[in-house]
Amino acid sequence: MTFDINTIIYILEIIVGGLLVGVGVHFVPVGGAPAAMAQATGIGTGTVQLAAGSGLTGLLSAGLMMSVTDNLWAILATGAVGAMIMIDATMLAGSWIYAYAVGAPFASAKVNYDPITGFSQPPYVAPGTVGQGIPTVCFVSGTIGAAMGGLGGAMIYYPLVQINGNPAMSAIFAIGIFFVDAVLASWNIQGTIEGFHDPKFKKWPNAFKSCLVATAILAVVAVLITPIGGV
Amino acid sequence: MAEKTVVKGFKIEPKQLRIYGLVGSVVGIYLAYILNSVTGTNIFSFVGALAALFGVVMGANAVRRVCAYGIGTGVPSIGMLSLGMGTVAVLFGLNIAEQLGVGLLGVILALVYSLIFGYVVGLIANRVMGFNIPIMEEGLTDLSGAGTLAILGWCFAISGSLAYADIVKDVFNTGFLAIIFICGGLAILHPFNANLGPDEKQDRTLVNGVMVGGMSTIATGICALMTLGLAAGMVQIVVGFAIWYYFYVWYFRLAKRDASAVVGTGLLPPSAL
Amino acid sequence: MDAFGMGLVAAMGALATVAGASEDIDSDIGSQSNPNSQVQLAAQVGNPHRIYNKAIAGEPPSNALWCTTAAIMAYVLIEGYHMPLLFAVAAGASLAALFDGVMSTSAYFGRSASQARFNQWIYLDIVRYTTPSIMAHVWITSFCICLIAVIQVYILTPHHPFPIPVIGLVWGLTVGAIGSSVGDIHYGGEREFQWRLFGQGLNTMLSGQIVRKAEAGLRNSIDNAWFCAKFGGPCTGLAFGLTVFLDNWRTTVFDPVTQAGAAIAMGLFFVIVMNLYNHYCEVSARRKYGPYPGYKGDIPA
Repeated sequence: MTFDINTIIYILEIIVGGLLVGVGVHFVPVGGAPAAMAQATGIGTGTVQLAAGSGLTGLLSAGLMMSVTDNLWAILATGAVGAMIMIDATMLAGSWIYAYAVGAPFASAKVNYDPITGFSQPPYVAPGTVGQGIPTVCFVSGTIGAAMGGLGGAMIYYPLVQINGNPAMSAIFAIGIFFVDAVLASWNIQGTIEGFHDPKFKKWPNAFKSCLVATAILAVVAVLITPIGGV
Repeated sequence: MAEKTVVKGFKIEPKQLRIYGLVGSVVGIYLAYILNSVTGTNIFSFVGALAALFGVVMGANAVRRVCAYGIGTGVPSIGMLSLGMGTVAVLFGLNIAEQLGVGLLGVILALVYSLIFGYVVGLIANRVMGFNIPIMEEGLTDLSGAGTLAILGWCFAISGSLAYADIVKDVFNTGFLAIIFICGGLAILHPFNANLGPDEKQDRTLVNGVMVGGMSTIATGICALMTLGLAAGMVQIVVGFAIWYYFYVWYFRLAKRDASAVVGTGLLPPSAL
Repeated sequence: MDAFGMGLVAAMGALATVAGASEDIDSDIGSQSNPNSQVQLAAQVGNPHRIYNKAIAGEPPSNALWCTTAAIMAYVLIEGYHMPLLFAVAAGASLAALFDGVMSTSAYFGRSASQARFNQWIYLDIVRYTTPSIMAHVWITSFCICLIAVIQVYILTPHHPFPIPVIGLVWGLTVGAIGSSVGDIHYGGEREFQWRLFGQGLNTMLSGQIVRKAEAGLRNSIDNAWFCAKFGGPCTGLAFGLTVFLDNWRTTVFDPVTQAGAAIAMGLFFVIVMNLYNHYCEVSARRKYGPYPGYKGDIPA
């Protein structure tokens, strides 16, 4: 193993990737189990799994791109776009069900006015619930979060492939790091959040610190793994 | 309604279980290695899968203890975390041991790294995020170690060797780590998740863990068909099936013991109609 | 771009749509994932029921398990035994269905047994007639996703650098994440509770009061599939189909080496269109349904 300026850049890339995943999770509007009963605003599933679903879709796109080109920006952008497409398709189809099956207008109970469209929210919050559906602000927030997750996944994957030159191994390694950061971040928000307008969003520095420490420990060992015997 | 028969149950202290898990798993992996190298075959690779079961039981018990406090994100996230930490630790341990010229100590190095990392994550969870779960550090140390041992054991079961190059060639390049990752993860998190409820019992949960572990061994046996050849793979599938069958039946008996009633068919209980 | 590649991408989109739909119906029959929290709660508030309780670690990890299992079996048969692709994938899906049967039944026994104090019985006939139906849907899901992975690795150019099991794992996680975010709302928001006002989510006061009786007799989980297959399943399928199709379409139409910028711009265009479409859904729902009548605050609608 050789330790030079490149090694430091690789470590930094992995750490930044991990931080992007960790902070990106805070943007994804996740309502947890109550959202599946249209009882809370956001997507009706768990944070980790949704972040993983979108971020890893981005990782698939980034891996495909990296097999044909070395252009870092193209790889990162493809990862981000792949993740955004996944989460947008998911939220859009979810919106159809909220609008056309449950028959409820979208509203958030955390703010009085939607910061993007300026629509009033409280009159549209059903009695006995804390909002339902995916208002525009949540949708945009989710798109940003997925972009960060996909970017982070690609950013973890890129230096790993540079170090060990093995896409299969790097992919699994990146999935491992991705899960560690996503789980830490979702513990920080206790499982549910509505997006960047949610008061809980202010807790992101905690996740930032946690992911920094955890990813740093992982990144330092990741760059030590060098090919042995040709593999 | 079937008659209530006496079913074998058990109760183990977490400390005792941790010793069983760590020692059983490490000894099992080395035993498998020694058996394979002494006999010059790869038939005994299945012992690695058995070793992984010890780790799984330890992990399942840790999930049970930590999740009983309620962590806000459901049980699955913690299992994924455990295997995520394990993946990194295994690769690092095996690689660094080989680089330092002590290839055989890879298992120990991976385990030590994962225990330390698990403890740090536990500290972060308590100090930075304010979980204030008293056993968080302990639980995550256990979980991280369990994930590592499970991955190591099943990696050995697929590659039949502890050399870094063999494991990368047989387990990582083929993508078989994916099945170890998810099967191992479910073996650790499914037991508590499947038995969630106020009347959860330790023996039922752990028996379920071994049952899923047996199922994972069938899966790694199928992978071994390709990497180790027909004989070693078939032995592993048969052993996995035997474990799965024995523990599934045991699990069903335990469920029968604990359930308020097991009926062939029928309406709702009289209290609820 | 070549016509063969486009055809393959279209086939992948179609397979993904089928996979998404069957994934959602499988989770509705088994009552998995988020709405299952209410089924779990039902017995605790004094409503024992005859609904399946397939709590396998949330949808994403469990679907990742089925798809990865199918993928390893297919990979072993293709690479190790040189079997035809379709046969290998079908064999893999069969193994995945068997694994699913084991996990489903163990979760049903375990969860019901852990609710002994609430008098929740274990009904063996439910296990006998519901489990095969779940397994059949899992077979379809894992078959389609495994086939997508095989197409991506062996047939579509550029070949994907990841091995089949890893792609199976990622698509499995994704289909599970989509199924639990889309299809589950139809089950949890519409089917599970019917003694409530239409046009709103579940009032917290009604938590656990799930519908336990059917048109004739007691409701079972197959009835839920009958309902959710009409809207929730297809929507899930569309979402997953869109994900797979749009993501691969842009790198097939535009060459990823020379036209990387165009491929990325195309993706961004899709993202913006979907943002606008959601905004349209929000505006039209607000206009058509209006504010809730009981609202007494001072913020105008």
